[in-house]
Amino acid sequence: MPARARARVTWAGGVVGALIVAVSVVAAAGPAAAQAGDARAGNAVYALRCAGCHGEKGDGQGPAAELLRPAPRDFTTGVYKIRSTASKTPTDQDLFDVITHGMPGTSMPPWSVLPDRDRWNLVAYLKGFAPEKFKEAPKKLELPKDVASSAESIRRGREMFEAIECNKCHGTQGRADGPSRAELKDDWGHPIAPANLTKPWNFRGGMSRTAIATRIAAGVLGTPMPSFIDSVEKPEDVWHLTNYILSLGPGAPRYATLLTVTSVTGAIPDDPNAAFWTTRAPSNIPLMGQVIQDPRNFNPSIDMVAVRAVYNDREIAFHLTWDDPTESAGAGTQALPDALALQFPPRPSRGPERPYFLMGDASDAVYLLRWESGRGVLEATANGPTKLAPIAGSEAAGRAVFADGRYRLVMKRPLAAKDDARPAFQPAVFTPVAFQAWDGGAGETGTKMSLTSWYYLRLEEPESNRRFVLPPVVAILALAAMLLVVRVAQMRS
Amino acid sequence: MRKVLAAFVTLALVAGVSVFAYSPVPAGAQGGGAIEASVTYNGAPVVEKLKVNKDTKQCGTEAVIEKVVVGGNKGLANAVVSVAGAKGAPRAMKAEIDQHGCKFVPRVVAMTPGAIDIKNSDGILHNIHTYSTANASINKAQPKFKKVMTEKFDKPEFIKLTCDVHSWMLGWIAVMPNPFFGVTDANGATRIENVPPGKYTLDVWHETLGKQTKAVEVKAGQTVKVAIEMKK
Repeated sequence: MPARARARVTWAGGVVGALIVAVSVVAAAGPAAAQAGDARAGNAVYALRCAGCHGEKGDGQGPAAELLRPAPRDFTTGVYKIRSTASKTPTDQDLFDVITHGMPGTSMPPWSVLPDRDRWNLVAYLKGFAPEKFKEAPKKLELPKDVASSAESIRRGREMFEAIECNKCHGTQGRADGPSRAELKDDWGHPIAPANLTKPWNFRGGMSRTAIATRIAAGVLGTPMPSFIDSVEKPEDVWHLTNYILSLGPGAPRYATLLTVTSVTGAIPDDPNAAFWTTRAPSNIPLMGQVIQDPRNFNPSIDMVAVRAVYNDREIAFHLTWDDPTESAGAGTQALPDALALQFPPRPSRGPERPYFLMGDASDAVYLLRWESGRGVLEATANGPTKLAPIAGSEAAGRAVFADGRYRLVMKRPLAAKDDARPAFQPAVFTPVAFQAWDGGAGETGTKMSLTSWYYLRLEEPESNRRFVLPPVVAILALAAMLLVVRVAQMRS
Repeated sequence: MRKVLAAFVTLALVAGVSVFAYSPVPAGAQGGGAIEASVTYNGAPVVEKLKVNKDTKQCGTEAVIEKVVVGGNKGLANAVVSVAGAKGAPRAMKAEIDQHGCKFVPRVVAMTPGAIDIKNSDGILHNIHTYSTANASINKAQPKFKKVMTEKFDKPEFIKLTCDVHSWMLGWIAVMPNPFFGVTDANGATRIENVPPGKYTLDVWHETLGKQTKAVEVKAGQTVKVAIEMKK
């Protein structure tokens, strides 16, 4: 390469480098300051990224809309759920933040993949759907002075939670199972569910303390959630409520990747509320809606199951906890039953092959350990989600309890397999496992379910006394050998 | 003697104040006429019932949703009758609506632009959720310890009022541009007093049966009777 060309390349490289540095400095300068977007440029981004759900006219009637609950926003009304203002319209920054972070727990994904510029342009374009609403400058909501979380503050928050009857929608324990749940509609008449306060990672608008206090104070526009800033005893109660709400559940789901089945000695209790179970740390498994086979479940009710598993010398037992806002009596009534199933391959495989995760197929069956309300626990074989056959002579047993929007279930069966239709469980072997759940109250049945792909479970090695015997024996032998060497050496000299 | 005098003065003061409080009737009222409207409906009443699953102590076990109330002689209740275009100062008395027995009482309240007291005599959580377009819509919680909340509606509009906690609750706040209006009683009757003489259009509005109009002429010192039939 001639010297001049090389110099040019170096020069170009320098410019690119400088640009990269400049861009990163700008990007690193913290939350992007509000920028005036270009609505026309925003239109192009909107048509490509947003119109599918929100519709070309911004009326929330895109081709995908009818499948989505909650329904996509109708921008033409200028009514937005998430706002940091005391007035009815959000700030540009509020709109930008929703585009950036999405709406957790809904079909609205985070669009942080788009360049900042595109997102600001979108903000400008969205406002154009309801220009008269954005004429007045939004008025900032002044939250009372922050009260840090403490036992005292949480106690006061609980007192206020009960006094202002948050339970009417959100339930006594915050699991979205309040008595008004079934009646709730948004301003467009679509059914809408209250937030499950024990899962803050699904909070629309985020789970920061400021975000939660703002939702309580200002309400969520277009939904039944009212504003409470004038309706608590003292303004700082919004912070006590925030602290109480955050005390209701874990701060993060910390989803598990592997299920460990703990070895225990002695009897395993059947009572799902026994301290034996509840004091063990759970493995949380996320569930998704079944969207492969018709009829599909685009808006699953159950999104997580907490699993605790143990085994002793005879049997293996699973303790499962999941939220379901509506208890269904099941068999013998008109209501669709609630159900939960654990799925295993009937036989261990030497390679990576496993049956089709969606309850097997015609050639490869799966084994199910299944509980259904009104029926109890049974063992079954499935060759697909609609081809389920109970196994005669079920050896499984179990018990479920329901309280305050939550099921707790214990399912047990022998470690050994009686026949080829059921798997045997052995320590230290990785066994594939998958989960399925149905909320009958939400109309879930058959292929309308929540499910997981294959996970693995492993029975930890049984506790043995060998670790207390072997090391001392080795130590004694080593000492004896040393003494022997010393003796031999002394004898020679 | 002094006691008698004091009593007399007090009495005079009270009388004076009451006269003062009642005297500023709408401007132009002197020499006005009255309208006696009678609204009828030929159809059947529409009443829905719903089983209540909460607050049964306050709400009862069955919610009765009175969408169309028809009384004696086919009289239609809860219709707002108003005189379009008449000029008059806003009513001095603050309007009031109560949440009692998990119902809005009255179901339809009419007022001139200004403030309204929204009461919660049930002593349980309600939420005031308005569906308004001309006025800013409201969704405010009213827990048991908030006995009264005062809201302002400055623009004429028929405002739907709901409670999301008790989804069957439905009320209407009719914000009227002038003080010449009335809400029909159980027999479909209402009387509008002190209307300045002139030719007007009488507007009738009902939450499910919509609107109707009728021409009316008001003469000083006389009562004009108007019959309006609402259709399906």
